[in-house]
Amino acid sequence: MATTVEPILDNTIEDPEHRAPLVLGGLDYAGVTDKVCSVWEADKAPKVWWLVLILAISLLMMLGACIGHLLMKGVGVWGNNNPAYWGWPIVNFVFWVGIGHAGTLISAILFLFRQNWRTSINRAAEAMTIFAVICAGTFPGIHIGRVWVFYWLFPVPSEHLAMWPNFRSPLLWDVFAVGTYFTVSLLFWYMGMVPDIATYRDRAKTKIRKMVYSLLSLGWTGSARGWHRYEAAYVILAALATPLVLSVHTIVSFDFAVSQVPGWHTTIFPPYFVAGAIFSGFAMVVTLLVPARKIYGLQQLITIRHLENMNKIIMATGLMVGMAYGIEFFISWYSGVAPERFAFYNRAFGNFSWAYWIMVSCNVFIPQLFWFKFFRTNTIAMVVICIFVNIGMWFERFVITVTSLCRDFLPSSWHYFHPTGVDVMMLIGSFGLFTTLFLLFCRYLPIIAISEVKNVIPVKSDEH
Amino acid sequence: MTEKQNQETADQKLVGLLAQFEDPGSLVRACNEARESGYNKIDAYSPFPVHGIDPALGIPRTILPFFVLIIGLTGCAVGLGMQYYANAGDWSPLFPGYNFMISGKPFFSLPANIPVTFEIVILSSAIATFLGMWALNRLPRLANPLHRISRFKRVTNDKFFLLIETKDPQFKREETESQLSQWGASVVEEVNEDLTDQQLPSWLQLAGLMTALILLIPPVLIFRAEGMTSRKPRLHVVPDMDWQEKYKTQTLAPNLGDEQHPNFLFVDGRAMQEPIPGTIARGDLYTDSEYFRGIKSGTESFATISTAGVHTGLQDAAHQDDSHQDEAAKDKPAEPAKDDPAAAPEPDWVTQFPANVHVNQALLERGQRRFNIYCSVCHGYAGNGDGLVNARAMALAASGQAQWTAAKSLNDPETKKNPVGRIFDTISNGRGTMGPYKSQIPVEDRWAIVAYVRALQGTGIKPTTMTKAVEKAVAE
Repeated sequence: MATTVEPILDNTIEDPEHRAPLVLGGLDYAGVTDKVCSVWEADKAPKVWWLVLILAISLLMMLGACIGHLLMKGVGVWGNNNPAYWGWPIVNFVFWVGIGHAGTLISAILFLFRQNWRTSINRAAEAMTIFAVICAGTFPGIHIGRVWVFYWLFPVPSEHLAMWPNFRSPLLWDVFAVGTYFTVSLLFWYMGMVPDIATYRDRAKTKIRKMVYSLLSLGWTGSARGWHRYEAAYVILAALATPLVLSVHTIVSFDFAVSQVPGWHTTIFPPYFVAGAIFSGFAMVVTLLVPARKIYGLQQLITIRHLENMNKIIMATGLMVGMAYGIEFFISWYSGVAPERFAFYNRAFGNFSWAYWIMVSCNVFIPQLFWFKFFRTNTIAMVVICIFVNIGMWFERFVITVTSLCRDFLPSSWHYFHPTGVDVMMLIGSFGLFTTLFLLFCRYLPIIAISEVKNVIPVKSDEH
Repeated sequence: MTEKQNQETADQKLVGLLAQFEDPGSLVRACNEARESGYNKIDAYSPFPVHGIDPALGIPRTILPFFVLIIGLTGCAVGLGMQYYANAGDWSPLFPGYNFMISGKPFFSLPANIPVTFEIVILSSAIATFLGMWALNRLPRLANPLHRISRFKRVTNDKFFLLIETKDPQFKREETESQLSQWGASVVEEVNEDLTDQQLPSWLQLAGLMTALILLIPPVLIFRAEGMTSRKPRLHVVPDMDWQEKYKTQTLAPNLGDEQHPNFLFVDGRAMQEPIPGTIARGDLYTDSEYFRGIKSGTESFATISTAGVHTGLQDAAHQDDSHQDEAAKDKPAEPAKDDPAAAPEPDWVTQFPANVHVNQALLERGQRRFNIYCSVCHGYAGNGDGLVNARAMALAASGQAQWTAAKSLNDPETKKNPVGRIFDTISNGRGTMGPYKSQIPVEDRWAIVAYVRALQGTGIKPTTMTKAVEKAVAE
């Protein structure tokens, strides 16, 4: 069952006579299993893994310390102040929720469209979704001030409070949208992983591993009846997750669009936010998978073609986002509403114009490099571009949130927003949380959907 | 090819025969053969879903989608109902709904309630899919005889298996085995169920029981606490608002600066600001002067309006400050300067009850009860100024231990001449050494007392300044 050593083909060339292979190097079933399990079966994790983990955990501890400080002192430790009561915590929330969207798009929407190239990247992308939503949920969670009564967000009968949530408020919609999104993503991710956890179970050497993976795999045998219901459930979950993923960022955009602040009160927000979310999410997937495939030697499974496809989506969604920026300006001029016109003029040429132009450069100009095949297929170039994209997308949320609030209807309260050290440390710390979770996932769970990849290997038997 | 050991001991029970295949194509072929040979208790196992295996095994379509549809529709109804109950329904005595009045918008409007409904539909459907799929697959299953076979471990890697169960009516040990080999199986193996470990080990049962008992302790403690009364404040895991650093109202704010550069919260050093002169708190604008002040409307001055409302604590404090400045005035038993008739002309008191005070039996009875509570302690039950407090204070005053101005008899001829408005004002704001009662007694009750006082004055009780008891006490 050893993998036959073949020169790695260039599967980015479009040959109309053949489907481009999605698994290179002639890997067979056992070869795929061995390849993915080697990540977990290696006695020692790669040095890079340890280095990054130590760094990530120290950043995570910094986040924990910041949250402790916040709980002791109150939300005054942030830069949020009149009139910008929504500062970095909300910017970070929208940023992280957006990152998550690519995972669901890959696992659900591309599944419904029968895009087979999703198979080797969907697991890592779904994991990324869950960890990003955890980071996202942290920020509004600690933004509510009295964190210990967080359950007041939910419709829990309470004698102490003697009231219910306001179900007509977009902020409450957010609680339901993000909560549902996290739960459904987790179920989808876990359900998809059970057959692969069963593979880990059957290959486990130590007693503890055997026990843990046996429990997690729920006694999966791979029976035909099991697969039949499993596939039905997978399609249903994909069909549920598809409108869900579109609804989540739509509802996040309602947080802004339903208010009346100039620059927020626009109907273009839902599609524009969803496009931006997919844009930033794919950029994050590329940023994570390029080093992961290199470190773990998974180039045969996560091929350049996979990365190139993602880069094409990044360019497409980047163009959508760029068009939305343009339309926003057009509508503000066309509406004839003075505060709207001022809000957008102020965005581009006001006191936060530096942030606006960082956003436009990173989100609209830099991704244009993906028109060239060199940038789409060169791993270092694509990671650099994707990091710029995520910087740009963070600034997009910053521009929307802060510039609009700092120039609201009441000129006497106009103000310049200054973040505090806690703001900065929390943003960096949230990357620590995300990276820690992702590294642990890489080490202990199958990062590639083994059973799904086997389905896209060309069948060698006489049938099919 | 076949397994040698064939003994079916008391500890082992044959479950079926497991055949291994090397590729999905031969598995599907074998499944077809098995089904056509009349086997129906068969199942195939593979590392990934094999195309064409469902018809080969005759697997019917799963009912999962219908189950999810039903749960999803239920979720829709429950989600909408929950929102209606919480925001628009207030009929329930326990945890009634809470109506948010926002810009006069309806409490329940479908467009605004769609997002949450949608999310609940998705959430309930997804959970139903997930749990329903595992339930239909009879998973999680802790023990499965298949997992005891080392060869079967490759089912999650690269091998394909077909199991024919002994429960199948067609199953014959040797015949089935040869059939499986004939259909292309590379290995055929027995699957045996170990009957010795059907029961959980006793230590595990004991541990489970202990865990269950320990888990019962917190709810028992909670229920015990629920049923008990305690004089101490409730246990707060997080002390919440008690814990905050804050200035209490009616206190002095500390100096945050130093002696040279004092830094107070407000200029006057208080932790709370006084209202701007002339402002009236919401609900304190009493326009009906006759009713609220006992003064004929149109004749009241600005000063009477602005001070006629219920006294705030701060205003009282301010008045105390005034009297502090005048030490001499404090010692003087005479009336304070603000009540000096010479300083302010007597207002034009109403002589008739205001239009919205209906003097009837009920009002008089109410007035009697209020009078007996608030007034009789000094003025006596008959209004003769012979209440117990007055008696005791007079006794103390006679022996020089206190200063006391005798409570007025309401039946004095002079007092009887007072118009009802003035009596109302006396109850409200006090007079002489009598304190104001407007913070204790609501307006309608004050008018009830006025009516009762008028009734007392009309009974013709002789004006006596003191009862015999008081005289006796004074004499001692």
